Amino acid sequence: MDAVNWLVLVLIVLLLAALAFVVIRRRGRAGGVFATRDKR
Amino acid sequence: MTDSFRRAGGRKLISRSSAQDLGSVAHLLVDAERRQITAVVVGRGKKARLVDWSEIGGFGPDAVMVSDESALRPPADDRERLAADGKLELLGQRAISELGNAMGTIDDVTFDPVTGALENLRVGDREVPAGAMLGSGSYAVVLADHEDPLP
Amino acid sequence: MKLLMHASQINGLPVVTVQGGEDVAEVRDVIYSPEAGHLVGLTLNKRGFLSGRRREVLPAGAIHAIGRDAVMVDDESRLVLPEDAPDDVAHPGADRNVMGDDVLTESGASLGTVRDLVLLVGSAGDVVGYEIEKVDGGRGYIPLPAQLAVSGSALVVPDITEEFVRDDLVGLGAAVDDFRARLGLR
Repeated sequence: MDAVNWLVLVLIVLLLAALAFVVIRRRGRAGGVFATRDKR
Repeated sequence: MTDSFRRAGGRKLISRSSAQDLGSVAHLLVDAERRQITAVVVGRGKKARLVDWSEIGGFGPDAVMVSDESALRPPADDRERLAADGKLELLGQRAISELGNAMGTIDDVTFDPVTGALENLRVGDREVPAGAMLGSGSYAVVLADHEDPLP
Repeated sequence: MKLLMHASQINGLPVVTVQGGEDVAEVRDVIYSPEAGHLVGLTLNKRGFLSGRRREVLPAGAIHAIGRDAVMVDDESRLVLPEDAPDDVAHPGADRNVMGDDVLTESGASLGTVRDLVLLVGSAGDVVGYEIEKVDGGRGYIPLPAQLAVSGSALVVPDITEEFVRDDLVGLGAAVDDFRARLGLR
């Protein structure tokens, strides 16, 4: 492959890594409403 | 006589000794607990300087009189750096009640130009006494419960 | 007449210090005790769209007030490390999502399933009712007594709750005091 193709490949990998970071980070922040069960 | 943050913004600072133009009012730094202006921020960015209220000879309607250029000093701590960057500016700041309800933004703040004591805040379409200010920072001004129109 | 809000509105609200006027964190999870009728605490994220979770938690006792736009605390020291907080807030293992739980009267009639909790605006987490999906599929609101029994994954409410099912938060707000008075007189 020539240099331009390598560059494009690297950019795509970086872009996917960035998207993966955003998705994982946003999912880690997601919250909900939870009930506890008192210990008996 | 009463002055206001809106009217004071952009007002010139003049040296009493040399009549030199030292810059103009960019922001007014406030101590929320004492309801008092503590310093005037002059200039912007890296050139921003503070003048302690105690160094101000007269806060007049047309000019702020300062003894001389030596009264202007760089920010001394993190809070003053925030103030110099305009992050603690009261005008346009979000107002929240201590119960956690948004109350609008601050349109203007009136003060006594002789003492630097804050008098009233204009929030949304209402006037609120400065005594209702419980705290002030880069995110919001927090106002006492009895000013909250909701609960 | 009470001003009410949904618990799910609390997710994502900023945590703001009364004295400092700073947004020190953001709400992630809302943790509730049906038996206590009250929130037990909140877990937190750092502020910022791409920021991570925050280790500290906020026990309900340390909350100054919960409003429609912010959770208020006296100062940042009210946020504590999980090891210094009550178990229920610190250890998610005991938690389960309250959504979808069946709401049963003491006599065994189902009023529907839980869709959300309803809190008193300006309190530190008083839960005054539930939003439910009624058996017929419509949305309803029911007031809750101060304490509630949990049986398995169902929540058990007094029989007279059936008379107090309302269509909206305004109706619920008007019903809460009457409902609790009726329980008191029983």
